[in-house]
Amino acid sequence: MDNDYFSIDAILAENQKVQCKFKQKIPEMGHLGGGSERDIIPLSKRQIPIWLAYIIIYSDWADFDIPQPFSNKVRNALRAEPRSVRLSNLVGAGSGWYAFGKTIMDMLGDEQGIEMSEMLVSTFKGRLVDVIDQAQHFAALGPVGGGSGGVDSAPQMFREGLDTTERELFILAQDSARRMKRWFEEGSTGAKRVL
Amino acid sequence: MSLPQSLQTSVTPPELELIASQQLIEIIPLIAMEKTAFISGAFGPLQPPRKAQIPLWMAINLKLKKKCHIVAPEWLSVEFLQSRLDEEVSDLGFSMLPFRYAEISKVLLDVAPDDIQNIDKIRSLLKDLREARQAKSREGLDQLNREELSLSNLCSMEINEIRPFFVHAMGILTHLHRDASTEDQL
Repeated sequence: MDNDYFSIDAILAENQKVQCKFKQKIPEMGHLGGGSERDIIPLSKRQIPIWLAYIIIYSDWADFDIPQPFSNKVRNALRAEPRSVRLSNLVGAGSGWYAFGKTIMDMLGDEQGIEMSEMLVSTFKGRLVDVIDQAQHFAALGPVGGGSGGVDSAPQMFREGLDTTERELFILAQDSARRMKRWFEEGSTGAKRVL
Repeated sequence: MSLPQSLQTSVTPPELELIASQQLIEIIPLIAMEKTAFISGAFGPLQPPRKAQIPLWMAINLKLKKKCHIVAPEWLSVEFLQSRLDEEVSDLGFSMLPFRYAEISKVLLDVAPDDIQNIDKIRSLLKDLREARQAKSREGLDQLNREELSLSNLCSMEINEIRPFFVHAMGILTHLHRDASTEDQL
């Protein structure tokens, strides 16, 4: 997830689009926004993916707004209760909210960047304990048990709302808990152990 | 690497058990053996009924063939474990336990239940200890930051259990952090 050219996570995150307002006239580039004009006129808005937007903004041809997944409404919801927000809904399948946030943060100036970094960090830490708890709980249920009738809906909704980075952590924790459990229950002589 | 991601950062419990089995333990042999050379060193001679110190893997082997009695290590007793459990419940930090207590206790309880006193009580004490320490490490998650994490007195199996996701989570926190002075102005 670095400024690593080959990082798959970074590539997926940079595919997200941001709203850009162009400051100058750019000939023959009207197709970028899917519109039918030949040229881009000043003060027109387009949705541009970040990997392209980075250069456009750096060369000062456009400005961009903070995209919807990080709007004030989302920020306030997160500040109130980080675990109740479904991060996977905010950015769609395949990409991560945290990864997207990092690319935006890299483009912002210091003051906004630090504010955004604090929001990302506090959200992550707030949700982390629940991710780990659920992972260990599911290690006990075994591979078939998840999501069936006995589980109530709030943890299930939380699990469905996990961001891709959180899902990786969930799998890591679940795997190590499952291995420990299996080791404990297996007897040294090969027989099943009664605990 | 072709290992699944969870194995890239940690060791499996059976591997830890193997490493722990190299520790020396006291036995009362029932057979005689001369001083024999093994790959890891020379052990013996075994002269019943004198006590001898041999590695745990050898002790388990002999015990399964009913050729020795194992002398429980001094920490595998009700008094020691009970005092550690009380300490665990009352203090904030982790109490001192032998580094590989989980592996050694599991193996001994499996193989030599007749050589250990009060084995049911010991089993329940060990279980309580493990759960108390797990609860503490979960609280430690709150203080996770990207720079360092120090949990003293944690034992080998516990470290191995939490290492994968703790390290990954700290990595993510590092990525999400933003330093005021080092970023370029756009």
